[in-house]
This record gives sequence, C-alpha cells and structure tokens, in this order.
Amino acid sequence: MLPLSLLNAAQNKPMLVELKNGETFNGHLVNCDNFMNITLREVYQTSAEGDRFWKLKECYIRGSTIKYLRVPDALLDAVKEEQNRAREAGRSARGAHVSGAGARGRGQQPRGRGAVRGGQVRGARGRGRGM
Amino acid sequence: MDSLIPFTTSGSLVDCVDRKMLVVLRDGRKLQGVLRSYDQFANLVLEDTVERIYHQDVFAEMWRGLYLIRGENVVLLGEIDLDQEDEIPLRQVEWSVLEPYHKQDIANKKRREEVKSQILYEEKGFCKEGGEGDGY
Repeated sequence: MLPLSLLNAAQNKPMLVELKNGETFNGHLVNCDNFMNITLREVYQTSAEGDRFWKLKECYIRGSTIKYLRVPDALLDAVKEEQNRAREAGRSARGAHVSGAGARGRGQQPRGRGAVRGGQVRGARGRGRGM
Repeated sequence: MDSLIPFTTSGSLVDCVDRKMLVVLRDGRKLQGVLRSYDQFANLVLEDTVERIYHQDVFAEMWRGLYLIRGENVVLLGEIDLDQEDEIPLRQVEWSVLEPYHKQDIANKKRREEVKSQILYEEKGFCKEGGEGDGY
C-alpha cells in the first residue's frame, strides 16, 4: 500500500491538509492525482496562526504545496481488507481459468527459460502476460 | 544493513516498515508513529502517530492518528528503540501545560534567527537568507 494509493483510497473521506506555509484545509476529498494535487469539498480553511477561518464550497490544492495530510485511522484497515478481497477474488478467478484451460501460465510443471520441450509448442510458451 | 540493497530511499527504508519511528519535519515538528509505507520520494504513511513537544527537561504528547507526510518536508526519520524509549531523563506533563512554553520557544528562536541574519547581512557581507525552510 503506497502512500499515494492510500490517498486514492481516501476519496470521499474527510481529511485535514496542512500546507507548507502552515495553513490547514479541512474537507472531504473529491479527487487526487499522482502529483498529490487534490480537490476538496465543503472546506474549512484556517490561517497559519489559527486565528482566521474561511469556509469554501470547493478548493483545489497543488500537490507541491502540501506538508502533510491527516486521514481517518480506519482507512488503513479498510484498504488492507479491500486489497485482500481483491487478491482473493483474483486468485479464485484465475484458479478456475487455469483448471479449465489446461497447462497454461505459471504454477504448472517447473520449466527452465525458453525450454519448450516437445508437445504443446504453442500453449506453453513463455511466462509473460495472460495470467 | 544488507549490502545487497543499494543505498536508495527504497533500499534504506525497507527495514523500517512496521517499526516505531521518529519523524522530524522541516517546520520542527516531531512525530512518533509506526511506519506503514513509503515511496521513492520518501512520502510516508505513519500510523498511530503522536506529536511531541519539548521544553527543557519536560515533554508532552498529543494523539494525532494516521498521517500521510509529503517526503519533501521530512528532515529526519529514525527508529525508536522500544527497550530504551522509556528510560529518558524527561518528565511528561499535560499538553495544555507545556504548549505555551513551546510556543514561546518557537517565537524566541525565530527572533534570534532574525537578529542573527540581520547582523550577518549588515556586518559580515552575507546575502539575505530565503524565507521559511531555508535552513535545511
């Protein structure tokens, strides 16, 4: 779970964003990208000194200005669970596929690089793709 | 450290995952939490984080929770020895008690730095330092 995938998973969750200049933004994450640029909705902005406040309907924050984000504690567990489910689903789907399609993909007889021994020249070639 | 892994961000931090770490930020904040993840920019995911402030021989803690820290702002990342972390000659007090002192410390330091850079500029021929965060 990379930091940026955690951010992606935080969509629609409440968060606190602090900028390098100390200003903070409290709101719900609408969207984000791999530069850490984010948009928030229903935002409360606080000045660096913590003495002035603004309410914004929606705001965009450039990733490079961010110091840190604080996200809900439950998010990490939720994401881990989600990943496990996805992996489980992928495995069972793949398992069914392999048993149906015969000797294909990994996990069949161990075989050296490029060792294509007689018989199935087509189906058993290579290990890339199609998993 | 395993010499098989080159000295890169990703190489140096693998050993720190799931350990309790101290993170110092460029603004001087000190956070302690469990490192759960990081990437090539040293963006960090810190779980069960507490922020600590210090003043002379006392400190205070404040619960903060789950952090995603942008790597640029990290000054230092160090592992905390769980066997020794309680054997420090410091006394813990309430956050609300210590916070005013801590704020005063920050203000004093800021003023001192201003005076210093002013003297360096006027008398020693230094150029004006940049603004926030230029010290690192």
